[in-house]
Amino acid sequence: MAEPLDKAKIKEAVIRKKREVYEPVKPDLQLGFIHNNVDCIGCRACEIACKDKNGLAPGPRFRRVMYVEGGKFPDVYAYKVNMSCNHCAEPACLPTCPTGAIYKRQKDGIVDIDSSLCIGCRRCEAACPFGAPQFIPDQNIVSKCNMCVDEIDAGRKPYCVMACMMRVLDIGPIDKLRDGTHETKARGPNDYIVSQVQSMADPELTKPSIVFIPHSKGAVK
Amino acid sequence: MSGGQEPKSVFGRNDVRAGIAFGYVALAAFVFWPASTTVNATAPGAQTVVTQKSTQVAQAVTAPAAAPAAAVATPAAPAPLDKEAAAAIAALAKISDYQKARWHPLHFKPAIDTASNDQCLACHKEVLDTKVRDKSPAGVAAAQSVAWYQTLDTFEGGQDTFHARHMSTPFAKTVMNLKCNFCHQGNDPREEAQHSSATSVNAGVTMRKMVDPSKTCLMCHGKFPGVVMGFEDQPWHALREGMETPDAPNGCLSCHADQFRTERHKVNYLNAAAIESEAKTKSDTCFGCHGGRAWYRNSYPYPRHPWPGMDPVVPEWAKNRPTQSAAEHLAGVK
Repeated sequence: MAEPLDKAKIKEAVIRKKREVYEPVKPDLQLGFIHNNVDCIGCRACEIACKDKNGLAPGPRFRRVMYVEGGKFPDVYAYKVNMSCNHCAEPACLPTCPTGAIYKRQKDGIVDIDSSLCIGCRRCEAACPFGAPQFIPDQNIVSKCNMCVDEIDAGRKPYCVMACMMRVLDIGPIDKLRDGTHETKARGPNDYIVSQVQSMADPELTKPSIVFIPHSKGAVK
Repeated sequence: MSGGQEPKSVFGRNDVRAGIAFGYVALAAFVFWPASTTVNATAPGAQTVVTQKSTQVAQAVTAPAAAPAAAVATPAAPAPLDKEAAAAIAALAKISDYQKARWHPLHFKPAIDTASNDQCLACHKEVLDTKVRDKSPAGVAAAQSVAWYQTLDTFEGGQDTFHARHMSTPFAKTVMNLKCNFCHQGNDPREEAQHSSATSVNAGVTMRKMVDPSKTCLMCHGKFPGVVMGFEDQPWHALREGMETPDAPNGCLSCHADQFRTERHKVNYLNAAAIESEAKTKSDTCFGCHGGRAWYRNSYPYPRHPWPGMDPVVPEWAKNRPTQSAAEHLAGVK
């Protein structure tokens, strides 16, 4: 059995390590999502597949399809934005965690959470600019999308991607998704890619690993 | 595998994938279409919010938050509620229907902008009562966990929720004066992407949040702005060595006591006098909010308030910055 932790020892170590700072992990490869805002029909199959995979009750949603509608007749528009955890290059959730429950994988940049280490302080939930960490009220812990790491490690794609009948959601190396060199059905031959859409938090905060095929009314940059 | 490769397993085959997709589409249609806006209303956590709080409302009305203990410069005590305000808050507590509560005008612009903490806490007092778990499900003890930013000398006490750390801990009460609506700036249950429809009011919030983190959280959780001080990208922990002595423990004051003396702390969400006082004895009082708790990798572009003796030449980095805080944050604005 492991030795019980000595609080005084920890405090001493804290003083010794004082002024050390957090440095984000620089992964060998950064996986990310691509979502086609225009061709998505908002069926929410991805949401349900995610909830099914993760055994989520009605409240928390790791993935969310957001309906965006606007304009004035006759210039009206509608499109969908689909986001879960964006597995940011420099995630805000990770440095907030006091127990080390959140970590970023070196090999593919996936930001995973071991909820069994979570004490429910909910700092990650507050810090994430994209609302990814989800509070599980009956357990007083937080959980979130981990891009289905078990599927990734088994050579498959996440449940949300597999469930998308329109093929508008996909994953891939984010640098290749950004420069358009990654082969994916989510992007058509004349589509262009943006990193931010209307109403989305500033990507400079955490550098999220997601790109979009935007609607003409939704593109930012 | 690299995530970009087509899956090689049976699940990667298009016919199987289409089958899976169709199954989930059917399930999604069943779950969402009948009443997509009421899904959250049935969440167990949400249901209890309104119905269990009537006794807490009375507390909120009759017993305002305790005065800050040991505050160096004690913030003004909240004015006693007039009869009308107290009655309005008591009325909030009587709303027992979740949907009614959800659609209460207080949650929308413009009422949310002037909502008092007492009004919010009439129904949401549990946010300050909620505690972290003593142990994680795997047995990690909260009392023996320390995050890297909790090594700052401003940190005291044990692990607590982020609401407590921003509103009710001794440090929060000393240096901050945050109201609920500083962060929670409104919510329109009709829209998943706020203020995207033609009829909505631009609430300045971002997707999946009730706030724009760039305009709020980033103020105290941004990167150390060393570049604008001419330190290039050097972190403060590399610079502070030699600037701090036992008599003058706060290296920031080497330059910011007189030479570069902005007045930006004179905003209504901070207790400026208390910060000034704390900064003289604690080395991390300034750094804590200026790089010491940097969740975000960019810096907040603070307004550059002029100070007596300020060089009239505006440096390149400050050319597009405002010279005073946003109107709603100016000291004296409630």
